[in-house]
Amino acid sequence: MKLLTHNFLSSHVKGVGPRGFPLRLQASEVRIMPVEFNPDFVARMIPKVEWAALVEAANTLSLGEVPTEPIQGYEQNEDFLRTMHHILLEVEVMEGTLQCPESGRVFPITRGIPNMLLSDEQTEA
Amino acid sequence: MAAGPGDRNSGPAASVRFFCTAGRGLEPFLMREVRVRLQAKQVEYVSGKVFFTTCSDLNMLKKLKSAERLFLLIKKQFPFNVSSVNKGKICNEMQRLINDDPESWLNTISIWKNLLELDAKKKRLSQRDANLLKRKMGENDTVITKKLKAEQMQKTQENREYQLEKQAEEETLAQGNFLTSREKLQLEECQNEAAEAAGTPSQNDLTFRVSCRCSGAVAKTFSAQEVGRIIGIALMKQFGWKADLRDPDVEIFIHLNDIYSVVGIPVFRAPLASRAYIRTAGLRSTVAWAMASVAEIKAGALVLDPMCGLGTILLEAAKEWPDAHYVGADVSDAQLRGARDNLKAAGLEDKIALLQVSVVELPLPSESVDVIISDIPFGKKFKLGKDIKSILREMERWESGAQKDELSQDHTATTTQQSSHRRTVQ
Repeated sequence: MKLLTHNFLSSHVKGVGPRGFPLRLQASEVRIMPVEFNPDFVARMIPKVEWAALVEAANTLSLGEVPTEPIQGYEQNEDFLRTMHHILLEVEVMEGTLQCPESGRVFPITRGIPNMLLSDEQTEA
Repeated sequence: MAAGPGDRNSGPAASVRFFCTAGRGLEPFLMREVRVRLQAKQVEYVSGKVFFTTCSDLNMLKKLKSAERLFLLIKKQFPFNVSSVNKGKICNEMQRLINDDPESWLNTISIWKNLLELDAKKKRLSQRDANLLKRKMGENDTVITKKLKAEQMQKTQENREYQLEKQAEEETLAQGNFLTSREKLQLEECQNEAAEAAGTPSQNDLTFRVSCRCSGAVAKTFSAQEVGRIIGIALMKQFGWKADLRDPDVEIFIHLNDIYSVVGIPVFRAPLASRAYIRTAGLRSTVAWAMASVAEIKAGALVLDPMCGLGTILLEAAKEWPDAHYVGADVSDAQLRGARDNLKAAGLEDKIALLQVSVVELPLPSESVDVIISDIPFGKKFKLGKDIKSILREMERWESGAQKDELSQDHTATTTQQSSHRRTVQ
């Protein structure tokens, strides 16, 4: 699971209100996967990013210096875009957990895929 | 879609007439696609087939996404008049498909050869660069493999001749009641000539197979096999080609129905619809692509398939419109495993994220998603546990407002069509 994806998720546990967002990330296995740099794509994602959640997640993964907000004129700033590209797209959490900050409920991440089924219903199709 | 002009390596290419088979309902998508992708002209469609003219090369043609198969057009004409029950008469008319106008057949064959040669040449050019590196290590190896190849070639040649003789026998036996004795004689003569010619490589050294599909009034009088045989014999007589049912050079495709008689040569061995980049197909790839094209995915969009299954729709979308972030969700372990394999095989793991979660409990804040595309499971094969209305309501909540078209009633109607597509495979 990439940090970009994590950034879009919020908690869906029943009864949890707006504070269900974001899900607290813990990782036991992280992989860095090189991804082709597409500055235009990164630039378009920047306005959609929830920065507080991103910074918190990046810090949990000890990614080092993480910008806390988009800098002025980020669309043309290649250094900035490359940094964001790395953080958002090249860091894969392979094993770990996501925790709802309100209810405390924990969801596992296995082989890069978070399992967030609330009930134990799961269809073998 | 990126519209591409010709390659830097090809000279001014001539316009060629093609046709594609398409699933019912996909013809408008295909027509639009050939216009945009291939700058095609004279685009027309008749129930299940789209005809067009273009000078694009094989690489561009290979990119067609809403077509089943691609053919070079030899002939398209009015359907055979089967009202007179005189079988012999209709048989003659079929032979005239070839005999009245052998030029257009030979013409199309040479176009077909050119297309393939040009493609092979390009492949060799790119292969040559790779080989220049390899050459530095061991020239001896290449010499040895060349010798082995030459031996193999000889063997396959011998096998072929044996096969043809066998087939010729089988053919003549089966055709007993069909041919007059005079025709039988001619056939034997033809075969003898062909056998002699087999030793010397010539222009007409072509093996072929006829693939025939009949429906409507014609099918009541002739079986597809019969038509195939009539055409096959006529071809052998006219051009001296040899029949090879197992591994022919050329396949002749003929489709007869109440609306038209169409003859063509398939351009690729595998149908366009079977994608090299999809390991396990769920929804039919052509339909998946068409759905994604309706969604109008813009750069930077967040695209969600909340019941992604094996991820077919997301794969088609990410391949064509790579500048978006794709998320697929499903409840099933098995499906997600298949999806992950598919993503890996296609090299699209970076573009598509997977979640194991239920569509009625998706962990997405309101108005976060730009596009939602899904093949909603219903009916016998996959069952939807929850009420479809509540799902649609949830989807509306996540949507950022701009794109609602995927989930209107029309779309559900489109998904109905899709399950019937699984059956009407061409």
